[in-house]
Amino acid sequence: MADFQTSTQRAKWILNPHELVGRYKAANQRAIEALEKFGATLMVVDADGSLSYPDPLINSKENADKHSRPKPLSIEEEQFMRVFYENKLQEVCNNFHFPHKIQATALIYFKRFYLQWSVMQHNPKNVMLTCIYAACKIEENHVSAEELGKGISQDHQIILNYEMIVYQSLEFDLIVYAPYRSVEGYVHDMEEVFHENAERLQMLKEAASLEVDKIMLTDAPLLFPPGQLALAALRRSNEVHGVIDFERYLDSILSRQNSAHIISELYERFNSIDSWINKYAFPSEKDLKHINRKLKSCWGLGSNDESKKREKKSKHKSKKSSNEMQNMPSHT
Amino acid sequence: MAELDPSKKVADRYLKREVLGEGTYGVVYKAIDTQTGQTVAIKKIRLGKQKEGVNFTALREIKLLKELKDPNIIELIDAFPHKGNLHLVFEFMETDLEAVIRDRNIFLSPADIKSFLQMTLKGLAYCHKKWVLHRDMKPNNLLIGSNGQLKLADFGLARIFGSPDRRFTHQVFARWYRAPELLFGTKQYGSAVDVWAAACIFAELLLRRPFLQGSSDIDQLGKIFAAFGTPTPSQWPDILYLPDYVEFQYVPAPPLRSFFPMASDDTLDLLSKMFAYDPTSRITIQQALEHRYFSSAPLPTDPSKLPRPTSRQEPTNSRGLDLNSNEVPTVPSPRKSRRVMPDREAFEGNAYKADRLDDHVSEREAAAGNTSKNEAVPMSLDFSVFGGKPPNRPTINSADRSHLKRKLDLEFQQ
Repeated sequence: MADFQTSTQRAKWILNPHELVGRYKAANQRAIEALEKFGATLMVVDADGSLSYPDPLINSKENADKHSRPKPLSIEEEQFMRVFYENKLQEVCNNFHFPHKIQATALIYFKRFYLQWSVMQHNPKNVMLTCIYAACKIEENHVSAEELGKGISQDHQIILNYEMIVYQSLEFDLIVYAPYRSVEGYVHDMEEVFHENAERLQMLKEAASLEVDKIMLTDAPLLFPPGQLALAALRRSNEVHGVIDFERYLDSILSRQNSAHIISELYERFNSIDSWINKYAFPSEKDLKHINRKLKSCWGLGSNDESKKREKKSKHKSKKSSNEMQNMPSHT
Repeated sequence: MAELDPSKKVADRYLKREVLGEGTYGVVYKAIDTQTGQTVAIKKIRLGKQKEGVNFTALREIKLLKELKDPNIIELIDAFPHKGNLHLVFEFMETDLEAVIRDRNIFLSPADIKSFLQMTLKGLAYCHKKWVLHRDMKPNNLLIGSNGQLKLADFGLARIFGSPDRRFTHQVFARWYRAPELLFGTKQYGSAVDVWAAACIFAELLLRRPFLQGSSDIDQLGKIFAAFGTPTPSQWPDILYLPDYVEFQYVPAPPLRSFFPMASDDTLDLLSKMFAYDPTSRITIQQALEHRYFSSAPLPTDPSKLPRPTSRQEPTNSRGLDLNSNEVPTVPSPRKSRRVMPDREAFEGNAYKADRLDDHVSEREAAAGNTSKNEAVPMSLDFSVFGGKPPNRPTINSADRSHLKRKLDLEFQQ
């Protein structure tokens, strides 16, 4: 599919920064409400994609006692958790030698999923693996769930259980555009515009591709179209390698496309993408441990005792109707 | 039974009506969308405990139809899981082109045929513009709405194309609509395969029966060569390099007009260009739409004025999508024996399409009734050159095939 202009990505999944913050806040808030209501936030996902919260009754005692109730993650802590698992996602994809395209699709799925949900509601490890599985499937590079699970010693049934809820949370918009292809396209175009030697352009392309890897770990893919991300990556790598006159190249694209963009506006965007890369922060080990402990207690897995009780109980959980589920995460 | 309860609402939105039939991967039923008042067709796909999770065919269809919005493409209105099933909500379509073609009470004027073909090509042109190959073009997948609009449906085999060197399976399309390059096993192909199938549909509109009814892949090639002559390397230079290329005895091409005695010159010119052997010189959909056939008289009939099957007895009249089950073939058919023909293994691992093809055959026979077999139509001719089923014709290695089939485009490539 080569038409970003009419894509669901352009229509629905490129947000403005204000919307993005709003979505994260809303997801966080929903988890906090669940915590208050049920005493725990982790949802149970069944093979048919149905979702439920564990029975609130088990935690009625704790509910009465406000002090023992787990503390919810802050929005920043959620962010750190996502960052951690997005890195894991890249690692897994690299281990399997998956192409860029799959990795990028999986990352975008993961990011979109957590626009709808909080990490307190769905374990990011499971979601991450399912996003990889789904990306392989959708990009027609199928890897069996079993193989994927085996490769990283994880139970593949979890992946299959999560598959439907992932698609649903993505609102079944499964075709995504990543900047890698755009980088290739631009470099190809530069060859024609500048008659620059192919080797140097190849180097520029590879460097830009690494910049895209960095961009893909930030929130920028939720805020900018892939073409702009690609140009920002090319600009960054060109600053280091000095292969082409970037401004002249931009001029040439804009003049050819009769684009409504003005250069200064584009530069503003590139700067903003740059700042996403520059402010990217990976949580320290200490932070991670702390957040992880908090997260586990939110999930209701604080003490062993508790979790066993819950597991048993969750088999007879009170299911929320799927209608309700359907209306819950979307329509925002 | 609960399925039929009209008071039952699915997902608080869709009011269930009658079951329209059994699709290839679930039940299809009619429903009213209470949000819009629109009549819809809902495809219900069992999720079950499949080893590989959500059905691939359904996912292909969803991912592509979500991005394809065109008057000549079926609209996917909604998708949601509900009670262990995945539900796909489509706009409701009254009938399909196959029902029109085979309804003997319908007369199709040249202008009507032009209109049906034009809508088919417009839908395809849109797909190709978006780099999507349909790969399952046949009259049964061209649905017709109450306003006469024809729409492409069933994107379960469709794929994005255009990546260089990407290899695809050649096991696509129902056999009668399969382009010669696919029958010769090519893995790298493009939009020309849809053009060939559209040409078969064009011919079927003119003849009112399928044009090239091969009983096996090899027989299909035989039928094609008998109609257009055995292709020569000068006509199709790459033919020698196709993976499953086998040499056929040379037969010259009879005049195209001999098959379509009533057709206009423009019709035959366009048809021959769509049936060009070499995929690289086959006319593109866009070029076909610009062909003078569409601008010369008679102009295409307005879709709302096109003839439609009237008899309500025909189960396919009120079909939604992808149904072919209600019709249990009643006419015992000698063609059934084909089920055990050796070539059938070419379909191994693709039982779904194979079944449909069989249904297709038997449906047609049931419908055509006594007129069918002996209608001395040019294409039913038994080509004595091929002597029916050649005993030792080199066939495509079936082990290779099933291996490929299993991988059905899913192989892990870079």
